[in-house]
Amino acid sequence: MNSPNHFSRGALRIRRLFRKRNTIALGGMALAVLLLLTIAAVPNAVASSSTAAKATETLPAPVKTYGSKNAPITLEVFGDYECPSCGAFYETTLRQMINDYVAAGKVYIVHRDFPLSMHKYGYEAARWANAAASIGKFSEAEAALYDNQNNWAESGNIEKYMAAALSPADMKRIDKLMTGCDVNTQPGSHTCPWDAYIEQDRALGNQVPVQATPTFIIYHKGQKFPAGQGVVSYTVLKQFFDQLLKQ
Amino acid sequence: MNALAEPLQAAAISRGKWIRILVVIGRLFLAGVFLFAAYAKMKPQVATPWSLNSVETSLSMFAMQVDSYQMLKPAQVLTIAHLLPPFELFLGLWLLGGIAPRHSTIVALLVLTGFFALMIRTYALGLSINCGCFGTSEQVGPRKILEDGSFFAFSLAVTIGTFWVHRAKARRPFPLKRSARSAVSPPSH
Repeated sequence: MNSPNHFSRGALRIRRLFRKRNTIALGGMALAVLLLLTIAAVPNAVASSSTAAKATETLPAPVKTYGSKNAPITLEVFGDYECPSCGAFYETTLRQMINDYVAAGKVYIVHRDFPLSMHKYGYEAARWANAAASIGKFSEAEAALYDNQNNWAESGNIEKYMAAALSPADMKRIDKLMTGCDVNTQPGSHTCPWDAYIEQDRALGNQVPVQATPTFIIYHKGQKFPAGQGVVSYTVLKQFFDQLLKQ
Repeated sequence: MNALAEPLQAAAISRGKWIRILVVIGRLFLAGVFLFAAYAKMKPQVATPWSLNSVETSLSMFAMQVDSYQMLKPAQVLTIAHLLPPFELFLGLWLLGGIAPRHSTIVALLVLTGFFALMIRTYALGLSINCGCFGTSEQVGPRKILEDGSFFAFSLAVTIGTFWVHRAKARRPFPLKRSARSAVSPPSH
């Protein structure tokens, strides 16, 4: 026989079960909503990444290197075209290094884009350099950007200095390649095909991690030396390379 | 009066003893700092065995860090980069050995003052570079300035302590030989 006490205990149990069920139901609903949101977000991400992939697939990849891959020393430089130290490093050290050690097949230089958010036109300059690199005009573009850094960093008119350094035919090609790349285009956008390459370099830089520009890494005989930072004069860098080449 | 003076004298002796111990510990710590700094700069930078060539490579690598301070000419950079780590090694051993401690702590203080001033100058100029102090990628910034400032303050305290210990030793009367002591003081039992 059910006593009133026993009955109320049963009711309590049922109520607890309901409460439990309610919690489970609420949890289930929240999970479902989350799942739906994820599903809704994924196609967009896939679509946008596939658009970017398509864009990069159709365009020739930018080659931002100097010299032969088989050189005993590799110098990987993470730089921002608007950073004054990068400009100084290029003008005082890299240019001479390219003329001497790269030309002699001793050093292979790899440029990596690491535009800093503090620089207004750094990202746009990197887009121009990538576009030029895709048609094999990287060295001309880099020289033009660093030689006129103060000018375009003030006015934002990068095109003017690129046009002065390249032939009209090359400039026409680059202009076409720069479609969708505007100063106002957000960095990492999918409208500018070069942003994918810049972001790729940036991701590599974050792995180092690059804390300031220029940051450079030296590789010799498959060994990676600790990253260096700042402007290093040609004489000092040359002395280090000579020491490595002696080994 | 004697009853009061004796405990005070004993307390002063024990305080002096503690200061002496702290000064020695401080000096040994400074020695450790310099020895580690020298080791970090001279050790092979990549997986190669210790050799004259590997040390030379490491010093050339250190030269790049010295150069990034943009303070010296390339020739001076190379000289400093090749002399500073061996000097740090020598200073570390000197501090460790305890020979002429007043001089060694003064030299350490001067070196650390120079480093501290260099950090402040670099930060004030806005140079984003690696310190190169202990061979790792430590960027010059407020944290590094605080670290170098602490080393400077610590070194100053050790130097003052070393001079205090020297003065205290000089003030103390010449210690009597055990035989003479026993002749002066009557046996306690």
